Amino acid sequence: MDGVHDLGGKEGFGPIDRAGEDEAYHTEADARAYALCVSMRAERAYPVDWFRHVRENIDPVDYLTRPYFDQWLQTAVAMAIDAGDLSMVEVATGKSDSLARTPVPMSPADVRAMLTTPANFEREVAESPAFAVGDRVGTASHGHPGHTRLPAYARAATGEIVAHRGAHLMPDDGARGIHRPEHLYTVAFARGDLFPEAAGSPDRIHLDLWESYLARA
Amino acid sequence: MDPSYDSGKVAEIHRHLHSHLPSEPALRVKALESLLVEKGLVDPAALDAWIEAYTEEIGPKRGAAIVARAWIDPAFKSRLLADAGKAVAEMGFAGQASGHLKAVENTDGVHNLVVCTLCSCYPFAILGMAPAWYKANEYRARAVRDPRGVLAEFGVTLAPDTRIDVWDSTAELRYMVLPQRPDGTEGLDEQALAALVTRNAMIGTDDLRGAA
Repeated sequence: MDGVHDLGGKEGFGPIDRAGEDEAYHTEADARAYALCVSMRAERAYPVDWFRHVRENIDPVDYLTRPYFDQWLQTAVAMAIDAGDLSMVEVATGKSDSLARTPVPMSPADVRAMLTTPANFEREVAESPAFAVGDRVGTASHGHPGHTRLPAYARAATGEIVAHRGAHLMPDDGARGIHRPEHLYTVAFARGDLFPEAAGSPDRIHLDLWESYLARA
Repeated sequence: MDPSYDSGKVAEIHRHLHSHLPSEPALRVKALESLLVEKGLVDPAALDAWIEAYTEEIGPKRGAAIVARAWIDPAFKSRLLADAGKAVAEMGFAGQASGHLKAVENTDGVHNLVVCTLCSCYPFAILGMAPAWYKANEYRARAVRDPRGVLAEFGVTLAPDTRIDVWDSTAELRYMVLPQRPDGTEGLDEQALAALVTRNAMIGTDDLRGAA
């Protein structure tokens, strides 16, 4: 999706505001929005890719201007409405409609379990990896509607495989409800190959990219 | 119902939510919290558990303990660089987004910097809540294109021949920077060393070499 979320390398952004950088939560509303969002997300087994894609579909002006966890909460609410767990009428009136489904909410014990159990996105696949460390690879020249994790700034670019990470669930498919693993690689690009003003720079930009984003260069 | 997986449908839901909810963020969150609790979709005790965990328990102190351990214990450092997810689990810090953790080491010739240009992925279990600047449009846009300019704003100036390795977290791998140990800290113990480690150093926007 060619959305405003795809910010890497976009020009015109000014200095970085470091206000409040040592606070865990920036406001009380921020903390509540975060907690509401993560409490709702586990209510169904949503793929995280669908969560990210629903956030990407926030109105572009809201995406660029609203607080981060406020956007997370709106995303979780949009997902609940999409899945029929909540209705727009309920949001508009602020009143629960007893006809709607009432699932069992996440408990504090569920929270503890989530806080101490890392999610594993790696899966077994029958196919051997197509690329090896040291291979030169080129990235796809365009995106597609829907979710993807190939940023626009790294399209049609040539880089080098620096690591094979096993096969991980493929996000473009995950955001369509399809759980399919694919080989994942860390690819290093010369900064000068991605951005013309950086020609000759020693810097490298690393991205973790799925096999179908890549072709042998 | 299962999710629709329909981009157009959720974009329309967002537009309706925009028009039906208060425009002030604090009021919007309050309105939704009261509805979601009344609806039984969230348990207020679970909300408190999330907030408390990231206020009291989980934060950059964990990352600092990992870095200090790596500075004094070469065997731990090797394990951390080989499989950071396993190494931090040894210290009891396994949790959200630590399953595919990678530690990247700063050296005299290489400085590492972590960003997530597409959303704001962050190793929560190790560093806690990301600072506001990490999630800001400015950092996400500029870290890959102008890392030297970004670092200069944070007071980090590198030699021109120092290579910056930027890590854009586009998959479920999460990155933490293992900074260089501050000069003149040979006599310090693990705890004293951990006190010198800043959150920003573990993202890559701080340089601790002159910190002691």
